[in-house]
Amino acid sequence: MVSGRTVPTLFAVLILLTGCGGESGERPQGISAVDFCQPALARVDSFMGTFPKPEVDPERYGGTAVVGTVGELAVGMNGFQALEAGAIQHQMFVNLMTLIQYDEDLQPVPYLAESWEVSDDLTELTFHLRDDVHWHDGVLTTAHDVAFTYRRAVDPATGFPNPGFFQHYLPGEEAVEVVDSFTVRFRFQEAHSDYMDPWRTVAIMPRHLLGGVRPENLARHPFGTVCPVGNGPFRFASHSSGESWTFVANPAFPQELGGRPFLDRYVYRIIPEHTTLLAELLTEHIDVYVATLPHHADRIREEDHLRVISFPYRSVFFAGWNTRVPKLADARVRKALTLATNRRQILEGIRGGRGELANAGVPPVHWAYDSTLVDSLPYDPPRARRLLTEAGWVDRDSDGIRESEEGEPLSIELIFNQNQERREVAEIMQAQLGEVGVNLRPRVVEMTSLAERITSPERNFEGVLIAWETEFRLDERDLFHSDAADGRYAFAGTRDPVLDRLLDTLQLIPDREEARRRWKEYQERIIQIQPYTFLYFPHRQDGVNRRLRNVVMDVRGEWANLREWWIAPDHRKGP
Amino acid sequence: MLSYALRRILYAIPLVLGVATILFFVLNLAPGDPLALYMGPGVSPEAMERIRQNLGLDQSLPVRYGRWLLAFLQGDFGYSLTRNQPVRDLILGALPPTLLLTGGAVALAFLMGIALGVVQAVRQYSALDSLLSALALFFYSMPSFWLAIMLILIFSVNARNLWGWPVHFPPSGMTSAGHDLMGFWGQLKDRAAHLVLPTLSLTLVLAGGIARYVRTSMLEVIRQDYVRTARAKGLPEHRVILTHALRNALIPVITLFGIYFPFLLSGAVFIEHVFSWPGMGKLLVDAILQRDYPVVLAGSFLFAVMVVVGNLLADLLYGWVDPRIRYGRHPGGPRPTARSGTA
Repeated sequence: MVSGRTVPTLFAVLILLTGCGGESGERPQGISAVDFCQPALARVDSFMGTFPKPEVDPERYGGTAVVGTVGELAVGMNGFQALEAGAIQHQMFVNLMTLIQYDEDLQPVPYLAESWEVSDDLTELTFHLRDDVHWHDGVLTTAHDVAFTYRRAVDPATGFPNPGFFQHYLPGEEAVEVVDSFTVRFRFQEAHSDYMDPWRTVAIMPRHLLGGVRPENLARHPFGTVCPVGNGPFRFASHSSGESWTFVANPAFPQELGGRPFLDRYVYRIIPEHTTLLAELLTEHIDVYVATLPHHADRIREEDHLRVISFPYRSVFFAGWNTRVPKLADARVRKALTLATNRRQILEGIRGGRGELANAGVPPVHWAYDSTLVDSLPYDPPRARRLLTEAGWVDRDSDGIRESEEGEPLSIELIFNQNQERREVAEIMQAQLGEVGVNLRPRVVEMTSLAERITSPERNFEGVLIAWETEFRLDERDLFHSDAADGRYAFAGTRDPVLDRLLDTLQLIPDREEARRRWKEYQERIIQIQPYTFLYFPHRQDGVNRRLRNVVMDVRGEWANLREWWIAPDHRKGP
Repeated sequence: MLSYALRRILYAIPLVLGVATILFFVLNLAPGDPLALYMGPGVSPEAMERIRQNLGLDQSLPVRYGRWLLAFLQGDFGYSLTRNQPVRDLILGALPPTLLLTGGAVALAFLMGIALGVVQAVRQYSALDSLLSALALFFYSMPSFWLAIMLILIFSVNARNLWGWPVHFPPSGMTSAGHDLMGFWGQLKDRAAHLVLPTLSLTLVLAGGIARYVRTSMLEVIRQDYVRTARAKGLPEHRVILTHALRNALIPVITLFGIYFPFLLSGAVFIEHVFSWPGMGKLLVDAILQRDYPVVLAGSFLFAVMVVVGNLLADLLYGWVDPRIRYGRHPGGPRPTARSGTA
């Protein structure tokens, strides 16, 4: 029999035990999380234990900041699996280090590399590393770690998402040379216009921990999500899958880079429902609501203790057209679709004007952006009608919808995944295109199915409303080059020799002025052939509690200066 | 009874394996790609193919099925395609929170539902009956995610920010950010505070349905001759109701228990989503949306097992509640059978 007292006791025990989820388990490839993680984390604790509590300014040092978002850092701190923006930012700014960082003007500044030189012909790049950066387990970070990271990244077996970063490097071992423990040299086949950029985003990985792991097993190594051992300003403390990550300040972080971060702890919480995220921010259980929905941002602005940081970001929102479909093969039709869409009104209506109109994929924060092109395709329904008529689409039966000579109506299905903004944009476009005789049919499709429809060889779609997040280093070959037209991302199916020629050379012009001219030509060509109706570059909005001080969020991301965030003592919470 | 239970379990093995096999093919043949969410200019198509190979997604369906089945029979549920962890670890991590939430909520819901149903039946057509019926219907017909959001708005946001109530609850999650730094009682209090709103959301919806069942069942039973006999014998009313009527009225409620039992593990999908409760429901929904086949398969397998176990438990409970029920052989498999005759 279970006594009356036993039930509440069992319940209390269950309440406490629920935090002890299984984090054991043999890896399929024989890499045991237990075998790897227990000694690795013990070494971290042991090394960190050697640092006495620092005598620091009590006004700034201390406290916990909590950031809430809808998504898990799925690949965690595995730099070889840099697949999603949140995880990449945590690799770059929180737990690991890159060789360089960008400052607020997007100029390279020293980080793990304290200096660098490039040869006059831009084919040799040498980094001099700091000699005081330790992995969190006490091992020094050296040039061997950088060379290891490079070798694994270019090994196809690793599945590194951006091998294109190193396309212009010499093949094989010629590309990398460890000159001494803190100097590493890279050699290129040809100069590149953005040769520094990859080293801003590629997190250096620990050779002493991962050097013995076969490249194909790196993706599933427990290092990523169970026990990362980084060298960045925050060390890993815990991860509960789908729930939260906790990081604590690294007391060994070099003084010249700011030393130990101001915060004691930083917690990343995963809250899949936006309404709950808003409630968490309003009740001060989280300090930052990342990627706030536009209507939530308005609510947050009403609260005195909160603010909204709005900043230009690197995503571009567009309607992509499948040019393989006969009715969308004519550039005049695609241009008419753009001219008949009042993009400025959509941006005002949906996002309160927080964003910039787009005409191509180069975002306003990029050096190659050309602001003179912004009004290239203004809202102009009469011109749209003329173009459609020229292309042979005329309303022959007076039903308000244009038809081809064969009687096929100009009816286009526009698919998008479930998302309030996309639904509203699709409905507005439907109404506006209806004015010029185009029957746009918006349709919601589940995200993974949508991705399959637009990327599979069948290209089973006509139009898709979607957003890309671009890199600082732009390369749109996979999207628009004829050679890639059968590739996954070339869903528009563009085949244009002028565009091809430009795409082949854009990356290889080291002179910025010359490169800007070519990039302008490229953007003009995109405007001419209109593979997409580019809509806008939305600003990112983040709700932030005012107790968090010195928060800088810009195009580099939300976490760019996490190590400089601080909380005044009377605003700190918790034990 | 033991041999009956063993026979039922043996019958269930092919059933559950069949369910898992069907699920495997349905999931893998459905459109969608686990790597779709990473699509974009930041990930090269060649790297995407390599990642697909590393995850074993490039192999043919029969090969994948064979490998999956072999591993599955050895207790290896595979590796999550999107969370970079073994499925077993993910499930072991998600089970305790779900058990805590749904276990507590189901127990509370049955207690509340049975109590309210009995009161309603005993006071049929009274103002109290009408009020409780209205409330039960109100909560029963309410979408659980909407109720959850309303509870957060009232007891978390407005209670704290607008009305300044001394007691308010955290809107989501299972613990606070500094939970690991708290003492034993602090941790207990913190977890209990986080449990209140999700448990309440689940309990109110479930209890409404259970109360309706119990009321109907009790109304049938209290008109039976043996209840009249009990009263005629001069038994006090509470004994008539609780000992004689309620036990018989509980038989249909046990069916309901059999239906709700799998829910203990599958979790309350919407509630876990809204409250960001790191349980099985949330794990499964995320996995379905991201086409994380190994997680969906393992979770659905567990769910199938729970359906079988729930039905078995319900059948065994019939016998406990109603001694007339005996367990025997049935042409289509073992079924509990009621002995003919009257009490």
